[in-house]
Amino acid sequence: MSALGELRTIGTKKVDGGSKVKNENKAAYLFLLPWFLGLSVITIGPMVASFYLSFTKYTLLSPPEFIGIDNFIRMLGDERLHNSLGVTFMYVFVSVPIQLALALALAVVLNRGLSGLSFYRSVFYLPSLLGSSVAIAVLWKQVFGGQGLVNVLLGFFGIEGKGWISDPSTALSTLIILNVWTFGAPMVIFLAGLRQIPMMYLEAAEVDGATKSQRFFRVVLPLLTPIIFFNLVLQIIHAFQSFTQAFIISGGNGGPADSTLFYTLYLYNRGFANFDMGYAAAMAWFLLVIIGIFTAINFWASKYWVFYDD
Amino acid sequence: MTRITDRRTRHFGRAGGFVAIAATAALVLSSCSGGTAATGSGEPAELSDEPVTLRFTWWGNDVRTANTEAVIDAFEAEYPNITIEPQFTDWGGYWDKLATETAANDTPDIIQMDEKYISTYGGRGALLDLSDAGVDLADFPQSALDSGTLDDALYGIPIGLTSYSIMANPTLLADAGVEMPDDESWTWDEFEEAGAAVSAAGGGSIFGAQSWGFEDGGLNNWARQHGDALYNDDGEVVIKPETLTSWWTYLKKITDEGVTPPVSATIEKQASGLAESFTATNTAAFGTWWNSQLTALSDASGEPLELLRIPTIEDAEEGSAYYKSSMYWSVSARTEHPAEAALFVDYLLNTEEAADLLGTDRGVPANEKIRAYLTPKLSETDQEVVAFLDELADVVGEAPPITPPGGSAIESLVKQYTEQVLFGQATPADAADGFIRDLKASIAAA
Amino acid sequence: MTDTQTRTSAATEAILVSRNAVDPNWRKLAAKRARGRARPKAILKHLLLIVTGLLMLYPVLWLVVSSLRPTDEIFRNPGLVISNLEFSNYSDGWTTLSSPFSVFLLNSTLVVLGCIVGNLVSCSMAAYAFARLTFAGKKWWFVIMLTTIMLPIHVIIVPQYIMFSQLGWVNTFIPLILPKILATDAFFVFLMVQFIRGIPRELDEAARLDGCGHPRIFAQIILPLMVPALATTAIFTFIWTWNDFFSQLLYLTKPEMYTVPLALRAFMDATSSTSWGPLFAMSVVSLVPIFLVFLFGQRFLIAGISTTGGK
Repeated sequence: MSALGELRTIGTKKVDGGSKVKNENKAAYLFLLPWFLGLSVITIGPMVASFYLSFTKYTLLSPPEFIGIDNFIRMLGDERLHNSLGVTFMYVFVSVPIQLALALALAVVLNRGLSGLSFYRSVFYLPSLLGSSVAIAVLWKQVFGGQGLVNVLLGFFGIEGKGWISDPSTALSTLIILNVWTFGAPMVIFLAGLRQIPMMYLEAAEVDGATKSQRFFRVVLPLLTPIIFFNLVLQIIHAFQSFTQAFIISGGNGGPADSTLFYTLYLYNRGFANFDMGYAAAMAWFLLVIIGIFTAINFWASKYWVFYDD
Repeated sequence: MTRITDRRTRHFGRAGGFVAIAATAALVLSSCSGGTAATGSGEPAELSDEPVTLRFTWWGNDVRTANTEAVIDAFEAEYPNITIEPQFTDWGGYWDKLATETAANDTPDIIQMDEKYISTYGGRGALLDLSDAGVDLADFPQSALDSGTLDDALYGIPIGLTSYSIMANPTLLADAGVEMPDDESWTWDEFEEAGAAVSAAGGGSIFGAQSWGFEDGGLNNWARQHGDALYNDDGEVVIKPETLTSWWTYLKKITDEGVTPPVSATIEKQASGLAESFTATNTAAFGTWWNSQLTALSDASGEPLELLRIPTIEDAEEGSAYYKSSMYWSVSARTEHPAEAALFVDYLLNTEEAADLLGTDRGVPANEKIRAYLTPKLSETDQEVVAFLDELADVVGEAPPITPPGGSAIESLVKQYTEQVLFGQATPADAADGFIRDLKASIAAA
Repeated sequence: MTDTQTRTSAATEAILVSRNAVDPNWRKLAAKRARGRARPKAILKHLLLIVTGLLMLYPVLWLVVSSLRPTDEIFRNPGLVISNLEFSNYSDGWTTLSSPFSVFLLNSTLVVLGCIVGNLVSCSMAAYAFARLTFAGKKWWFVIMLTTIMLPIHVIIVPQYIMFSQLGWVNTFIPLILPKILATDAFFVFLMVQFIRGIPRELDEAARLDGCGHPRIFAQIILPLMVPALATTAIFTFIWTWNDFFSQLLYLTKPEMYTVPLALRAFMDATSSTSWGPLFAMSVVSLVPIFLVFLFGQRFLIAGISTTGGK
């Protein structure tokens, strides 16, 4: 029912439909109370403040000064910002699909049908635990650095490797691989989703003579689409905001030569390192618009491929 | 009836929500830091008899934490009514936290400060003028105090001094058949020759010199040798493009010739820290370092590294060398206990007990009396550091003007442009123009 | 397979057998055939998993191995074989900072527990409202909820800090836990919404006919069926909070209140030297709880659920 329609029927004393709608409003407010409190006090206040700050010059050390849309105009000509957008887009649209595909594949393999699965799951989850830790920079260098594991392995084949992490043309790829490596989170969500599929459907299909792959593509996958959709939306949002890994691995400067300067990393540098918080706020809201657009596209497209049981 | 009540209830709920939102936003914005700083009133304030608590923040590793906490304990023993609450983290997180605390008017009372940030914080009224706050400044050389002064206000007292130097590895030089250079007269060309000889003998794993150009120390020295400077006393960017171009041209030349390691190897090492540098792992004969790092490097490398003055150009200007303050002690302008804070700073800088506990972890003491007191107790390498500084006194010039507000961007700018030049993405001349333009913009925007 | 699943498939089978649609011995035959094919396939699978696992885990294994080597040896050795087994990194790391490491572990645990409970309760409530109830402006509130995830934390954190500082809550755990109690983690709300939508409404209707109001439907029907989503929320909250550095950096000032990420950073110093050995050792120590939580929490994660609705 449209919002307007709901508005009209609220409060109308009807025996069946009307009173049900009225009760749901009260119940809704009850269930939503903590969330609403959190929203208005903890989230929206600072969000509104940051929106205001994007129209100011704010050094953190002095009060904000209103400067109108100057920050946004500056963004138009800021080459490093454009570069960082490019880096971020590349990162999002390459690493997320690969990561999700890997997560789904492993979730299916580790779902059932083999012994020791809970151990394997923990093993494949372990990389995600390290992804944001302080030690990851060192560890990643051990793998991709000039004397790292990859080059040692390549050496066995007689190929000479280079410093993957410190070369501008390959540094971003090492971060993409890092995001793919930490596929544990979506994998766990897929596992939970797979477990929620009623055995009844699968067995009925088996009885009907469906092969394993048919069962997967015709039964499991469609029923899993709400979860796939969820992972897609959130991993994209998450990847757009990716910060910690680039920060730790590049030492905070998005190097070498800005090749790993993610948008949020540049934003953080401008805000905290350069005391230019007004500009950073403007950048943040611009990012929100971008993410919002892609999320909206996701939601619109979901009509065509996501199947809900309710 | 019900309809109206429901609408009102709903509207009230929504209105209530908006009020909450507006209230928090207003609360936040109104308390963004501002207001006047407690001005140095010309007379040190009185010490109180009541219990006083001070917050004290610094950055450093676990070694520094240990010695600093020892000093805190010693101070508290001597002044039982003052409690010091420590607050420490690593370099990266330190500045984020300090900025956020200051934004919320919550700055700690005593702050360990760095040269790149002191004018930003001082110029914006976050730091107290210490010239008359009750700290005894008699034993500090004027040039050292000048390095913490902006617009006639002393925003930070230097803790330690250091100077740019080259560390040479005698073993590697001997292996390559290169004589230890005469550091009072050697030129950049001679440096290049010596480095090339070491690289040639090193066969790809040992290099003449580790690369530099990722921080502003080398740039400052180069500029001064060429009679130029980064800033003038008014805080404007005055460095000439030619100076920058020549600096980067030289750097690119020695990199291309193999005197320094390949660029990616350098970048990789950068993120690691001192103990994994080329100097510390004995894979480069020369390295540009601040001289106070000798002990840490010698320990890591295991070799008796030698301190050399940096090379100069043929007709270098006099007094191009200078003393840099390693870090400063500052006091928050909004501290509620300026007298006690000044007392603690005085204790840290002027007492022998503090000197014994802190050692040279934060640099060779700038306080001349304390330096003389401490030197005989220092390790051999630390004594070399002091000797180097003392000998340099003959050729040291005036300290460069303090970095103006907004100049803290220079660290990332230098790194960014040096990387571009070394990777061949920009010519030295273009990089020079870009660097000057960006630095000016950063200072203008501050 | 859990009880409910067995009951389900047995029920299905009984129906199908009674309709003569299926050979009553079907199950036994299928199982026998499957076992015959299973062995070599299983071994292959195990092998592949082990090899892939080792490759994936190399960085982690190297971390553990390095924590058992003296600091100056660490970077000279990319291999996994230990020649000089040393536990001093662990004892050093435990004691060198201003408090024993157990203090930091305890602080992290307190924060994490508060966040988990907060998230579980408040997010499930909000998710129920979005997934099952109709109310005014629902679509708009949902959009707003999603929008809150889209703003990078770095610009919100300063105003938030100022707000908490005005309230005098800096250097307490409140700013770290309160947001979770108030369902600010829209990620989990959204996650639970998707899960709840996978639960057939017929169950709700059945309960409604039995006279249950929404709170009872929520507590007795939806929550039990949502256990995988709840477990997922708990595990993720644990891991993200355990590793969260930035907000803990800003809000905790006294070293006795420090949590694990802050303590780990205290071993580092870019300007002098980082104590890698103790840092690695304590990183391993802090990994152990999360690993264990995940290992044992899986039971709840993959609890099978029956959605036949038959009772």
